[in-house]
Amino acid sequence: MQSESARAASAAEARFRIDAPNSQPRSIKVIALDRPSEAIVKRLATSVWGNTSFLTTLASAPPRDAPFSMRGWLADLAGHTKILVDEIEHADLVVMIATAGESIESTSIIGEACSLKRVMTTGLVVTAPSVPAAELSRSLAQLRPWALMLVVASAEDYIADMLMALRA
Amino acid sequence: MLKKEQSDLLTLTGPGTAGGRLFRCYWLPALLSSELPENDCPPVRVKLLSERLLAFRDSEGRLGLIDEFCAHRGVSLWFGRNEEGGLRCPYHGWKYDRTGQCIEVPSEPVESGFCNKIKLKSYPLVERGGVLWTYMGPADKQPPLPEWEFALVPPEQSFMSKRIQESNWLQAMEGGIDSSHVSFLHRGDLNSDPLFRGAKANQYNLKDSRPVFEVVESPGGLFIGARRNAESGNYYWRITQWVMPSFTMIPPRGDHPVHGHFWIPIDDDNCWTWSFDYHPIRALSPGEVAAMRDGKGIHVKYEPGTFRPLANKDNDYLIDRAAQKAGRTFSGVEGIAMQDASLQESMGPIVDRTKENLVSTDNGIIMARHRLVRSVKALTDKDQAPPGVDNAHQQVRSAAVILPPDRPFIEAAKDALVVRAGTSHASV
Repeated sequence: MQSESARAASAAEARFRIDAPNSQPRSIKVIALDRPSEAIVKRLATSVWGNTSFLTTLASAPPRDAPFSMRGWLADLAGHTKILVDEIEHADLVVMIATAGESIESTSIIGEACSLKRVMTTGLVVTAPSVPAAELSRSLAQLRPWALMLVVASAEDYIADMLMALRA
Repeated sequence: MLKKEQSDLLTLTGPGTAGGRLFRCYWLPALLSSELPENDCPPVRVKLLSERLLAFRDSEGRLGLIDEFCAHRGVSLWFGRNEEGGLRCPYHGWKYDRTGQCIEVPSEPVESGFCNKIKLKSYPLVERGGVLWTYMGPADKQPPLPEWEFALVPPEQSFMSKRIQESNWLQAMEGGIDSSHVSFLHRGDLNSDPLFRGAKANQYNLKDSRPVFEVVESPGGLFIGARRNAESGNYYWRITQWVMPSFTMIPPRGDHPVHGHFWIPIDDDNCWTWSFDYHPIRALSPGEVAAMRDGKGIHVKYEPGTFRPLANKDNDYLIDRAAQKAGRTFSGVEGIAMQDASLQESMGPIVDRTKENLVSTDNGIIMARHRLVRSVKALTDKDQAPPGVDNAHQQVRSAAVILPPDRPFIEAAKDALVVRAGTSHASV
């Protein structure tokens, strides 16, 4: 007689797997940390996604001499200021997009906020063969303390594949 | 989540498929050398990439890998007589040489030259490092012979085994690059398995079960770095190599031999899991070899006379619920290899990836799929050779290192991630 494991692992038995959704939509925030990444994020945002928002840090970083605040670090792609903590509070995942060699000063504030709110973070650095290793290292070093998963990709098409894989 | 059409692209590897074309760009391990131990020994059935083949070593020691079936009436040449420079079909005496060329049709006049018109499909078969390798792609695209380090060290420094895995190759391979499962599924084995225990680094693994991952593209595939806390604010890094399409090398522990795998499709529902262990600068000790033969480490015990694991789905993998409850094993299945295989086979022959819910720590898997899909498309659309074919992509090592927190492993461990003749792996 066939064992339970042998029967259960057969292709015939696969037909009886329950065909019902097994997850709810996730809330994912994709944040561009620098100007080239903002362009990438804008291109990504033109596709149809589920509960995923695309944001940027560029336009809204407070002046250096302003008192510290977690407000005003983010903007949506139309340029409207967003409140960082409010944006990430209910997120399942924050994906920070950086381009190797670019300045990504706001990483720590976003990372700190995610850490405070116990939100999972992924850092994704897009690089090219022409980028010097030292510049890539600098980007990685800035992201490493704040990213629970860090990915170095040679092309931006990986980001779309990753978001799709994560059911964004 | 992966769309069905993308999953099909990678999981289906028979003739005429895009995924099959990808595998047909590489030298693939086909048999252990020990399966054809002497001239004129019995032929061996081989199924690879959904093609039924027969391997034999002729009277002069030359290796052949040919279509399994006689061109005359379609009987299996496995019943054939391996004699005097070829394999003779026992049905009507047709005889084939190692290239599949028919060299005798006894019922036809020799002068007719009829046998010259009969040729079975054949593939090159070459011996290297205790493995017989084949290349199943177009002859004009045949790459140089493989140069994996384990296959080039002296034989006493290397050990290879293979086992049948009753699942598609991709879900098996994805298990090999899924570093985050080790802290759960294999946690009982780090301190007990003779091929792992005793390494200082085991304590880092056991103390920190939530590693942080970094995935970086390499020329041939991926570096997958898992970072854990070490002393004085430093990080303990374990860097796994994945080289396309299905080679992995697991980071070393102490001075133990280094191990890794190939996952090679038999057909779409089954694959060969090849498992190697080697040490770059010393012979394996008798104790290590005995442990490997006894199914320790990443190897298995077999059903006698086969390459099927002794613990398999027909005996529920000999699951021991008491051991599971007592914490001696996490899943109740004994041995690292079958802990993995039992779960991967339980997914069904080809797992439905449209239903999975990957998370951020699965980026190694996501990136591997991405590179595979991209390479299949580049091969199909532009006839571009995929990564991993180039011998330079095979000159890789896994590594385990301790680094300061500000040093990226791809830079700080750069030398440790390539073969350096005469040196050990970087290990902790």
